[in-house]
Formats: sequence, structure tokens, C-alpha cells
Amino acid sequence: MVNKNHDLGTAHSGFNEWYWQRLSAVVLAVLLPGTFILLWTVYLGDLNQFELLDWIDSFVSRLLHTLLIVALIVHAYIGLKVMIEDYVHTGLRIVLIAGILVMMSLFGIWWLALIWAWGG
Amino acid sequence: MTETIKLSVFRYDPEKGGKPSMQAYEVPFSGAGMKLLDALNYIKWHLDGTLTYRRSCGEGVCGSDGLNINGVNGLACITPIAGLKQPIHVRPLPSMEVIRDLVVDMDHFFDQYRQIKPWLQTYSPAPEHERLQSPEERAELDGAYECIMCGCCTTSCPSWWWNGDRFLGPATLLQADRWIKDSRDEATGERLDQLEDAFKLYRCHQIMNCMEACPKGLNPTKAINHIKRTLLNRKS
Ligand code: SF4
Ligand code: SF4
Ligand code: FES
Repeated sequence: MVNKNHDLGTAHSGFNEWYWQRLSAVVLAVLLPGTFILLWTVYLGDLNQFELLDWIDSFVSRLLHTLLIVALIVHAYIGLKVMIEDYVHTGLRIVLIAGILVMMSLFGIWWLALIWAWGG
Repeated sequence: MTETIKLSVFRYDPEKGGKPSMQAYEVPFSGAGMKLLDALNYIKWHLDGTLTYRRSCGEGVCGSDGLNINGVNGLACITPIAGLKQPIHVRPLPSMEVIRDLVVDMDHFFDQYRQIKPWLQTYSPAPEHERLQSPEERAELDGAYECIMCGCCTTSCPSWWWNGDRFLGPATLLQADRWIKDSRDEATGERLDQLEDAFKLYRCHQIMNCMEACPKGLNPTKAINHIKRTLLNRKS
């Protein structure tokens, strides 16, 4: 173990990460099953292709979809960041975290553009 | 015929150099009440005086003989020989620097304990007699005051293995919570301030190794969650 006292004081940032991790988990737990229910109703034949597209097109659906993607990205980003902090102990840590942040943001922007550009 | 106990004990002397090794010993079984510490004492007193380990009270109150016993952390003095698979593998607490044989360097561990200021802090003028606590307020400290700072929990925590330089670890956090809960302490806000950190506190991922390792049956995970909940209440 380390002998030197590495106490750098408190960063006052741990709470927010923990909070958003949990909040995004709740949003995911509520919204993610919705997508499977939607798929299920299509497979059961309760919803045909046009009804499905209508639903995906609707404002409420786009809003929920947006929420889902944002929650997914927040959750995945914090999760990966924490894992990197756990196991990577060199300067590479910051590089990796920054890389993930950029990739996640690009993915999110692309997906949101898809959601809101859909159908017009 | 006396039964014998087989042990395999970690040996290392940095001053002599060389590699750590496991040494085999055989010790007579002295009866149902025999604890692992009795076997180590037998080795030291009758077989091999060079074997080095810490112990003091011999009854689970001083916290000095935390060891890794067959892969599980515990106190040698209260671990019955009878339940252990043989040969009994005895190693120092994991992830700690070995000073010699089973003795590890606890400096950093106690440094972290000191960081949370484990003493009563008050600002109001001292009352004429003692600061009183109702039986209910006192009961809040159950499950925390029993901790003997043996380090069995902290050295079994993966989060502490990987980030022990900054993560305070279950033992220290259990004590941090003990002072947060203490009705007489008036520095609760500052204590919470000092813990709100992604490494000091939130590195705990609720793996619960700590709870399983604690020889006193305490639950540091619960205490850590209580600190997190208190921080949540403060913010929302
Ligand atoms: S619950 Fe937290 S403190 Fe306990 S072993 Fe797991 S990570 Fe470590
Ligand atoms: S919580 Fe248990 S295992 Fe941890 S230091 Fe205290 S007594 Fe030892
Ligand atoms: S010798 Fe004191 S706790 Fe084991």
C-alpha cells in the first residue's frame, strides 16, 4: 500500500456523478421496456407498419425517444468513466475519458438528429 | 495419539532479501476451543521463534491480528481451527506492504482514519456536566462503535485495492458515519463536505466484500449507503 498521505482534499463532485448515474438508471428502467413492448405488439400483429411509423413519428414518441437516448448516454458515459478510474492509473485515464466523452456525444447528436429529422 | 494440524504460513523477510515463500508447519491439536492464534503461538514458542505476527488481546478486541486465512480475512484469535480446511493457508492482509512475515504496514490505513477526524467536535459551549445522549441516540451508534479497526474489511475491498491511495475504504467510512450519526457531534456539515468526493467515498461500488470479511459482524456497506443518503438529503 501507499505510505505517503495522498490527501488532496475534496473535489465536491462525487455526488453529482452518483446522482445522475442513479437518475439515468431510473429513466432507463422506465423507458427501455417501452421499446420492447412496442416491438412485441408489432410481432403479435396488434400494430401494423403504418401504425408503428405513425407512433414513432408522433411528438410524444420523439420526446420519449430523446429522453431515452440522453439517459442512455449519461448512464454509459458515467459508467465507463468510473470503470476507467477504477482500473487505469496513468495519464492515459484522462485521454480515455475524454475520448469516450467525445464518442458518446457524437453518437448522441447523430441519434437525436435522426429522431427529429425523421419524416419531417 | 494426538491429532495434528497442518499449516502453510507466509514467510518473508525484506532485510534478508529473497522471495516470499510458504512454510509448512505441524502443530498438535489442543481441543475444540483451539483458535488459529493458538497454533501460531505454538509455532513461535516451540517450533520456530523467527515467525513474526501481531497479536495482543487474544480475544477479538484489539484488532491487531487481522490475517488472510484460507483466502478469507479474519482475526486469528477468534477463528476456530476446527472449521478450517487443512493445510490452513495463513497470509498477511492482502494489498498491504509486508514488513515481515504476517506483519503489514498499517500507516496509510490509520492515516486515512485520521483524515475523518475520529473524535467529537463541538462548537457550543461545554455544558456544566457531560454532553448527554438519550438511549435512542446512543442506539444509533450500534453497529459502528464495535469496530476495532482491524482492517479486515478495507483490505478485502477491490475498490481499495485499486484506488486505496484516495478511496478511504470501508473501515474509515464506517467510522465517518459513526461521527455523522453521533447526536452530540456538531461538525456534521463539515464531515459531509470532506467526504463528497468521487474517490474518497463514491469509489465504493457496493461489492459487499467488506461486510463478509468483518469478524465483528458489522456492515460498512450499510454505513456507506447512509452517508450517500445523507448527502442526497442535503442536496434535494
Ligand atoms: S461495499 Fe464498498 S467498501 Fe465494501 S467492499 Fe464493496 S466497494 Fe468496498
Ligand atoms: S468494520 Fe469490521 S472488519 Fe472493518 S475494521 Fe471494523 S471490525 Fe475490522
Ligand atoms: S489478538 Fe486482539 S483482536 Fe486478535
